[in-house]
Amino acid sequence: MFSSLKRLSFRKFRKVETLRHELNYLFWECTTRCMLDCLHCGSDCHVDSTHPDMPAEDFLEALDTIDTPAKNLIVALTGGEPLLRKDLETVGMEIRKRNMRWGIVTNAYLYNQERHRTLLNAGMGALTISVDGLEQSHDWLRNTKGSFSRVDRAIDLAVSSNRLNFDVVSCINQRNIKELKEIYSYLLDKGVKAWRLFTIIPIGRAKENPDLHLNNKEFKEMLDFIAERRKEKAMDVKFSCEGYVGTYEALVRDTPFFCRAGINIGSILIDGSISACPNNDPSFIQGNIYSDNFYQVWQTRFTPFRDRSWNRKGPCANCKDYSLCQGNGFHNWHGDKYAPLVCHKGKL
Amino acid sequence: MKRKQIKALIGGLSFGTALFVFQACYGMPQDMQDDIFIEGKVISQTSGLPVNGIKVESDIDEHYGITDSQGEFGFYTPWMDSLKLTIEDTDPGSDGDYLSKDTVLVNPTQEMFLNIILEEN
Repeated sequence: MFSSLKRLSFRKFRKVETLRHELNYLFWECTTRCMLDCLHCGSDCHVDSTHPDMPAEDFLEALDTIDTPAKNLIVALTGGEPLLRKDLETVGMEIRKRNMRWGIVTNAYLYNQERHRTLLNAGMGALTISVDGLEQSHDWLRNTKGSFSRVDRAIDLAVSSNRLNFDVVSCINQRNIKELKEIYSYLLDKGVKAWRLFTIIPIGRAKENPDLHLNNKEFKEMLDFIAERRKEKAMDVKFSCEGYVGTYEALVRDTPFFCRAGINIGSILIDGSISACPNNDPSFIQGNIYSDNFYQVWQTRFTPFRDRSWNRKGPCANCKDYSLCQGNGFHNWHGDKYAPLVCHKGKL
Repeated sequence: MKRKQIKALIGGLSFGTALFVFQACYGMPQDMQDDIFIEGKVISQTSGLPVNGIKVESDIDEHYGITDSQGEFGFYTPWMDSLKLTIEDTDPGSDGDYLSKDTVLVNPTQEMFLNIILEEN
């Protein structure tokens, strides 16, 4: 009875949020250049990208179309590797002048003391660093020897700051699933307070590499691990919001699964395309900042994100959990879109 | 107008996004922490001209700004009800040699502009 009421109120809440569709989170794919060549990269990024970086003024012009920014609107500078841009601090200051917050998601290879200081002084308030295992497994996934030691240095800098809202993310795969406990101890020893665990969605370079994907048993093992650590409360460990996990929902996250792509999350991609999350299928692009008013597009388009009834088909058609899951994370709908690439609940 | 009122009403009735702080799957956490922007201009007491290379630093986590050729600086630092700033010459000799000084900001507002006059050594 209580759990039915809880489910009902959550569905209502989600409906209201969808109706309001307040833009709270904006990704800017500010570069597709990257110094690493990660095995699992979801972007089509390269050391020498075919796309030139978007000029900062073009992005800021798009930001200026947001006439009434939400109180907690945050801009996530992502890539590629955002630290390859020399003007992050200038852009960051400009974002703050517009009463918005900002942060970066980084592989941390270039994150050093000097950059740490300049980013903080420019008003950076949030940081996510990827740690994909202990030294050997991290360097394997990142395809670069020595990348772990760079991450290790960056974590020390991040935890030293009282200003930063900082967390670590890890892509869990065949190579690191057996070292979860050791990674946890390592992060705990470093003073990390929050850790988010992902699995790797078969898109981008990750599509063809079986070593990157967990089998059903391993997936459950990872969720059990998260649930156990959450009971200990020594660190804020959680499963990312990548997918709906049925009865594990209350055990592995603070809030029930709710894919906010296109509801509260938007993105401006390297070529000016306007979408929800950067890894959504290109067929869902809603406009382009070079030909459309960004905020008008946000306010008036995005129908496939805000009315997901189109995805109640294939395996989702008769699923009894559809009302809670709504076809899983939006980034799971690629290609012919007959079915999500991954059904997390189906793996359990 | 009516549409705005309806949206505001719905907003009030919903759980509220502030309550349901979320982060995008591949993004970083939200940032709700209070900070302040301190900017200003440093000039020489003797000449009245702007001074380059002066470091203005808060005592919290070493947040700082360094003046440019116009004597201007600007930086963010976490908000505290009392904030100590240290002002020091990072390149004495290049355009004079200035004495360091400290100042305390009590209950600083979110944006502050400081006019700083430095005495030559």
